[in-house]
Amino acid sequence: MSVSAIGTGAAAILARERWEARRRWSRAALAYLVMLLFSLVFLGPLLFAALSSVKTDPLAYPPKLLSPQLSPANWAAAASLGRQGAGAPLWGGFAPGAAVTFELTYFVPDGLTAEAPSANVPRRRPGGGLGAVQRITYAADYAEVGDVVEVARRAADGGELVTYRVQVGYPGAGPTIDRLPLDVQSPSREQRFVSSTLPPTRLERLGLVASYETITPGALGYLLGNYRRVFTEARSVTTGQSLFLRWTSNTFVYAFFRVLITLAIATTAGYALARLRFPGRNLVFLLVLFAQMVPTQVLFVSNYLVLRDGIWGLSSLWGQATLLNGLPGLLFVTALNAGPVFIMKQFFESLPREVEESAMIDGAGYWSRFSRIVLPMARPALGALVILAFQGAWNDFFWPLVILTTPEDVKTLPIGLLTFRNVYGNSGDWGLILAGAILSALPVIVLFVVFQRYFMEGVSYGGGKE
Amino acid sequence: MRRSGRELLPALLFLLPFLAVLVVFFVYASARAVYFSFTDYDLFNAPAWVGLENYRALFRDDNFLYALRNSLVFAAVVTTVQTAGALVTASALNRRVRGMTFFRSAFYMPAVTSSVVITLIFLWLFQRLGGVNYLLTAVARNAPAIGAFVLITVIAQTLQVWGERRRWRGAAAGSKRAVAALDPALLVVSLLVAAGATTVLGLLGHLAPRGTEAIAINWLQTRQEVPAGAPFPLRAPLPLVAIMVQNAFTTIPTFMLMFLAALQDVPRSYYEAAALDGANAAQQFFHITIPSLQPVIFLVVSLGLIGTLQMFDQVAIFGSAVPLQSVITLAYFVYNRMFPGAQLPEVGFASAAAMFLAALTLAIVLLQRTVLRAEGDR
Amino acid sequence: MRRLFTAAMVALLAAIGTAGAQTIVRVQGYGGQDPAIVQRLIDEVIGADLAAQGITINYEPIETDYNTVLVNSLSAGTAGDVFYVPGETAPGFIATGKLLALEDLVDTSAFIDTLNAVFSKDGHVYGIAKDFNTLAVFYNEDLFDAAGVAYPNADDDWTSFADKLARVAALDPGVYGACIAADTARLGAFAFANGWTTFGADGGVDLTSPAFAEAFDFYSGLVTSGAAAQPADLGAGWPGDCLAREQAAVAIEGAWILGFLRDNAPNLQYGATFLPKSPTTGLSGNYLYTVAWAVNADSKVRDAAVKVLEALTSPAAQQFILEQGLAIPSRKELADNPYFSQDSAEARANKVVFEGASHGNVYGFQFGTIGTDYMGPINNALTAVMTGSVGSGAALSQAQSDLTALLQRAAP
Repeated sequence: MSVSAIGTGAAAILARERWEARRRWSRAALAYLVMLLFSLVFLGPLLFAALSSVKTDPLAYPPKLLSPQLSPANWAAAASLGRQGAGAPLWGGFAPGAAVTFELTYFVPDGLTAEAPSANVPRRRPGGGLGAVQRITYAADYAEVGDVVEVARRAADGGELVTYRVQVGYPGAGPTIDRLPLDVQSPSREQRFVSSTLPPTRLERLGLVASYETITPGALGYLLGNYRRVFTEARSVTTGQSLFLRWTSNTFVYAFFRVLITLAIATTAGYALARLRFPGRNLVFLLVLFAQMVPTQVLFVSNYLVLRDGIWGLSSLWGQATLLNGLPGLLFVTALNAGPVFIMKQFFESLPREVEESAMIDGAGYWSRFSRIVLPMARPALGALVILAFQGAWNDFFWPLVILTTPEDVKTLPIGLLTFRNVYGNSGDWGLILAGAILSALPVIVLFVVFQRYFMEGVSYGGGKE
Repeated sequence: MRRSGRELLPALLFLLPFLAVLVVFFVYASARAVYFSFTDYDLFNAPAWVGLENYRALFRDDNFLYALRNSLVFAAVVTTVQTAGALVTASALNRRVRGMTFFRSAFYMPAVTSSVVITLIFLWLFQRLGGVNYLLTAVARNAPAIGAFVLITVIAQTLQVWGERRRWRGAAAGSKRAVAALDPALLVVSLLVAAGATTVLGLLGHLAPRGTEAIAINWLQTRQEVPAGAPFPLRAPLPLVAIMVQNAFTTIPTFMLMFLAALQDVPRSYYEAAALDGANAAQQFFHITIPSLQPVIFLVVSLGLIGTLQMFDQVAIFGSAVPLQSVITLAYFVYNRMFPGAQLPEVGFASAAAMFLAALTLAIVLLQRTVLRAEGDR
Repeated sequence: MRRLFTAAMVALLAAIGTAGAQTIVRVQGYGGQDPAIVQRLIDEVIGADLAAQGITINYEPIETDYNTVLVNSLSAGTAGDVFYVPGETAPGFIATGKLLALEDLVDTSAFIDTLNAVFSKDGHVYGIAKDFNTLAVFYNEDLFDAAGVAYPNADDDWTSFADKLARVAALDPGVYGACIAADTARLGAFAFANGWTTFGADGGVDLTSPAFAEAFDFYSGLVTSGAAAQPADLGAGWPGDCLAREQAAVAIEGAWILGFLRDNAPNLQYGATFLPKSPTTGLSGNYLYTVAWAVNADSKVRDAAVKVLEALTSPAAQQFILEQGLAIPSRKELADNPYFSQDSAEARANKVVFEGASHGNVYGFQFGTIGTDYMGPINNALTAVMTGSVGSGAALSQAQSDLTALLQRAAP
């Protein structure tokens, strides 16, 4: 508020203040609007992918935000069917003694006699790809499909809507089976499928056959079908263990050790470069700068061969002829990470020397000065470093791609996802790929939400993605 | 010198783990890459010295020329877009309003997830029948409504600004108000007016969506390059454009945060003073924001160039979904010749390409340093 | 009865005796649909017999790019003892010296000679073909019926075939006559029909000859005319996927599609017939695809590995694979198989694939030591023309010069 304003009348001042107030809240409102728009841009693809990951076919066009999987009415139907199938309203299944009642409605145009469709339980393998190696029990071998009977009939525009009911039972003893697929074939294309207790997975043969992956999914099985497949379908050939779980634990182990190694190397080397004077110091520092700039792919030819030969046979000391296809090799080669060294050097240089110098007078050696005085003061930087290293390891792509190739059990999550993409992308099965992608991102997102401050600090150190 | 000698032993001990790794995986690896680049080597038979033959062969190889072009175009476009995008978003968000931390975290979300996750999601969105084409179709079909909204906003804003300026032109110096073209107080009114008017027009049926055909651009399985008329070195294949969009999407938030952190240090009084002097938003941006951010811009451009010149992940993840030449980069070329699949590895050829990539990266980063430094000194 | 009992006892004792000292043989093969069949082959057909000999199989399917993994693991010494060697990359693998010569260890005369030739060099046989495949036209009967168009048949030539596809495509905007990938592995078969060969008499490649250009125009024309779509246009990974999802009425594939259809489209009503004939020569063409089992020359359990290879290519194993609808046996004796006369869509399709090997101009799917890199320039040309960015003349001359450069660099 400028001084000359005093000269004007009180009313003018008041008007001006009102104007300024209006400007302030307008500016805030616009800021929120802009932020909302940005959120939409930056989070939109992730949220859209998350919503679509529950769909049977995320490539269905036009894409919709909501799918039958997100409708509470279908959850209720799925829960009830799951109870009928295996007494399991949540995850469903098909167990001995089950009696599942399923209804379908057809439109029969005027002049056509309604005829019961035929139903059967096909020997359909769930999904393709990685699941193909498993021996599965087919519901078809145990299910008994009852007669299809008409239960209701009401008039509709230009014809009638006829509802049929079919019962699928599980007589006798046997294993509990995950899913109960069903195919229902209309007697003619004119008698058109309209709806059923649960929407069909797909309509086949130009609408003639309504096909269901399973008619006893249970509520969660219906909503999270793709997520369940991520865990159940891809299994290790040798152990039968879920590959996705294996990849997740591999990634955790890798990230854990990578954090330890990064901390150890970055603090010691950073300290030496920041505080100690020795011949060749500038050369080492120059190498750090170069190592940060030279693309990994330049070094990878030689590094791949060094690892292949177990670092000149060093690894045979602990019984490994090669360091390929294992986490140790990955940890060795990714230990070359000059970024954190650089960050720690900068940080140590920013610390006041006086504290250390007073300790030096007390006769403390280099190591105790480092571990007792400098490291505790570096706690905030170390926090950011831990987070950066963890995130880097969790998302690491190039070296795991090169080193971890076979068997599937040795892979980390990003490389495992690539396997999903190759195997399921080939049959257009994007539901499972998206579900796997979302699941694999969760740990880092949780970590991010909890430790936001450190992430932001990491960025301000000039890090970003390491 | 005496002191430096005394500290040599402790320094060596402190540096030992790092030096071991550095020597084996960097110094030795670089030296061996140089050696391999002069040999013919397939991993099975001993390397044979061929002199400069590999380097000569590089420029006769179609895939390499595509890789070189793609890498350069990608680095140029993405570095520009991400730096500009991050700058603009950062200055738009440089406000002290409640809930800002929440929003900042939200924007950063794409950057914390792995490149594989984001690339897979974008690969899905860029399918022929995917989200991107659907969005384009929706925009094209609703062009009347969008156009009406924008038009009404502009008209309302112009009228208001003109009215306000006229109203205050004759006022005494003390009560004079600077009315910027995008004055927030007026813009809010304009937007509300436009939203209301568009809704009414829509309800009256004047803005019915156009029945244009669905846009179905083939983003992936195509050799099409844009812009169509440009010479080869200036064109970008469509699949590469898809990767550019994805890459800018993930890097803008990171760089935006770096800019925001730096912007917090620019005193608010600069902006207030400028506003009192009647500087508009654009003038403030170019005369205050950019000069104060000079060092950070320098850092962001360096990181951006290094990152984009090394682009690899997306090419590997897109894989067979796109023609190789439409996305291949120098980094992927090296990998592809080391692990060709269809034939035995061409280690020497791969190494020659790797040396070229290293030289190119260093040259571009050094060039950028000199250019930006010179600009800063002016 | 008594003899049987004694034999069983002996086998049992042998099993007990060796239970503690089973030799483990690592077997590597493709991923995808293949493991389901191979695992069953091991479990149900050959496993028990090998176990009695003290051999256990550790089976490791490879989901990522098979050839790359094999090269790397061979160079690292981590490759399996027995593994697939694809015909198209066999010359490269033989050149590594890591494949065991088998002619003295296995009776190679029991296998079809042309298949042995694919895996031979300088008189040595480095792989035993496990099966072979050719291309056939697989069609969705419902879609042809709905469009009122006759099914494709052995008498079709390119013109009548394209005409049928166009009429099916006219049925519905969401349905295409065929699903066609920009893939030399399909186009080549049509060029063969016209008398073209992978390498000319002088060892060079001629892509600008009328024989090749005509086939190229026919094949890419299916897409540019709108009669066919590329898999990516339909959100599919490969033509078999389009067929399974009923988005296309025709896919040109081999018998590998049968297992996929069984799992993914069990309700599909399909038929199979020979590839259409060239209107110029009146002949059809085809690729002969084959994959061999080979033994690692560095294997520490070489004898056991050879036994496993013999079991994997035994008549019982091949009969089993055939009946799973995965591939056609490579043993001469199995050519006259009662399976082929069964009345099922799968058996009929397998018969067409089997007979495809002797139907018109058939050549192996092999490209010398540059392997499938050969296909790169041609695939590029196909993609460019199919998406309408270049004309076929320019695309072909570009492909010709790229391929020539590639061959020059590979030449020693």
